[in-house]
Amino acid sequence: MGTVYITQDDCFIGKTDERLNIRANKQKLLDVPLINIEGVVIMGRATVSPAVVTELLNRHIPLSFLTTTGRYLGRLEPELTKNIFVRKAQWQAAGETEKSLHLVRGFIRGKLKNYRTALLRKQRERTDGNFQTATDRLKQILSSLTSTATIDSLRGLEGAGSAAYFQCFDALIRSEGFRFEARRRRPPTDPVNALLSLGYSLLSHDIQSAVNIVGFDPYLGYLHVERYGRPSLALDLMEEFRPIVVDAMVLNAINNRIITPADFTTEPISNAVSLTPEALRTFLRLYEQKKQSNFTHPVMGKKCTYQESFEIQGRLMAKYLMEEIEQYPPLVLK
Amino acid sequence: MNNSDYITIAALNQYSYCPHRCWRMFCAGEFRDNHYTLDGTNLHERVHTLGEGNREEMWQVRAIWLKSEQYQLIGKADLIESVEGEVYPIEYKRGKKGEWDNDELQVCAQALCLEEMMGKTIERGYVYYAQTRRRQAVEITEELRQEAIATLEAISNLLQTGTMPPPIYTKRCRGCSLFHQCLPQAADKVKRYQEAS
Repeated sequence: MGTVYITQDDCFIGKTDERLNIRANKQKLLDVPLINIEGVVIMGRATVSPAVVTELLNRHIPLSFLTTTGRYLGRLEPELTKNIFVRKAQWQAAGETEKSLHLVRGFIRGKLKNYRTALLRKQRERTDGNFQTATDRLKQILSSLTSTATIDSLRGLEGAGSAAYFQCFDALIRSEGFRFEARRRRPPTDPVNALLSLGYSLLSHDIQSAVNIVGFDPYLGYLHVERYGRPSLALDLMEEFRPIVVDAMVLNAINNRIITPADFTTEPISNAVSLTPEALRTFLRLYEQKKQSNFTHPVMGKKCTYQESFEIQGRLMAKYLMEEIEQYPPLVLK
Repeated sequence: MNNSDYITIAALNQYSYCPHRCWRMFCAGEFRDNHYTLDGTNLHERVHTLGEGNREEMWQVRAIWLKSEQYQLIGKADLIESVEGEVYPIEYKRGKKGEWDNDELQVCAQALCLEEMMGKTIERGYVYYAQTRRRQAVEITEELRQEAIATLEAISNLLQTGTMPPPIYTKRCRGCSLFHQCLPQAADKVKRYQEAS
């Protein structure tokens, strides 16, 4: 099972029997059984045959459109599940409710704990870096989460925690030619930020699929406020996964020199930085590998892939909202 | 009342297997196939392509609609046979006689419909198990009738209120095609979970 990424411009995506095939310049690039596909992501331009559109909708396979640099444009959305009960519970918890506060605390706690664990691990591995200030700060923020009673103040804590972590990010990079000063987006103007943005964009596609499968309305979130066309709930659920999926793979790609400074191009005037087409394919392969890698889910006590854990967390969130379980456990890794 | 307010005969089987599964399928509209359900669908496609016919002294009709106004029931019969004036329903199942007796309830519900439609008492039906190719007789006893009627009332209540029966983990969960949506062990596991600091 996996996601098909289409990075070459002007591909034709067609269907023969139960298989999806992708052609460009009269050459066959890919031929996979539809049953193995969980999502399709088009980066750039492509022609999608009407038969493929019908088939993807029937099989509930989401199709996302991204620009060549990975900015999210939109998606072909299969029918929402008929589970009105999950959506009802989701809407009832909207605003400053007890449930909404609990979930927001959970998303932030998950993210900040995973940030802190990443820094503590690096601290143990090496002697030169000093993350003590940041890990202390994160610990302090984590302990004030429970006593903070408004969502806006919780957002403030989330921002402070992220800032503490990203101040250390440059020290996590051990590869010549890469620097990280601060988180810069829209557009990212340095390679590290470009990789992070691309990774988060891919992750949000996957989390939105998981949130849809469970039956949520992806546009109503608790931590992220509603804004037209923004999948807020997917962004909420994504928080706890950012450090363990995207940051980990970006650091791996840089520090192991799988991606080097030569793999980037810079636009004139805007200084927007992006990957060369070949390096983009490398990056997508790394992301797919990360998603398919196994770990033991701390709550369920069973081996699962990161991809599967997106849906498990979505289901646990639904169970919390529907009062099947008393608390939402964010995915916190040791 | 329109047809969508009727209880489908198949819901009986699902409810007695697991009320939570019944809720997921008929209230929440979730359905996912696994290899068991696909087997069953394939079998029913074969069964349902044949029509009416005579086999020596026996008259057979396949894939007809059954309906009962009294019990607000609707569904499709796999096979109805009639020999020397006696009419009985036969339900096709994949596999062999199961560990759960819910197939008998389904046959009983079909009998209730047939009784109302034909104005005669149905004393027995059969379940045909594809794997063993055996017919298992089901006596429509008063006890079975009462059980079917009580289950129908419970389902009717479930459909009207939409209240979710909690998932309860048993060994039959392993064969359920909705296991990954339901995660029946989650409540227990979350209760015992200690989050890392």
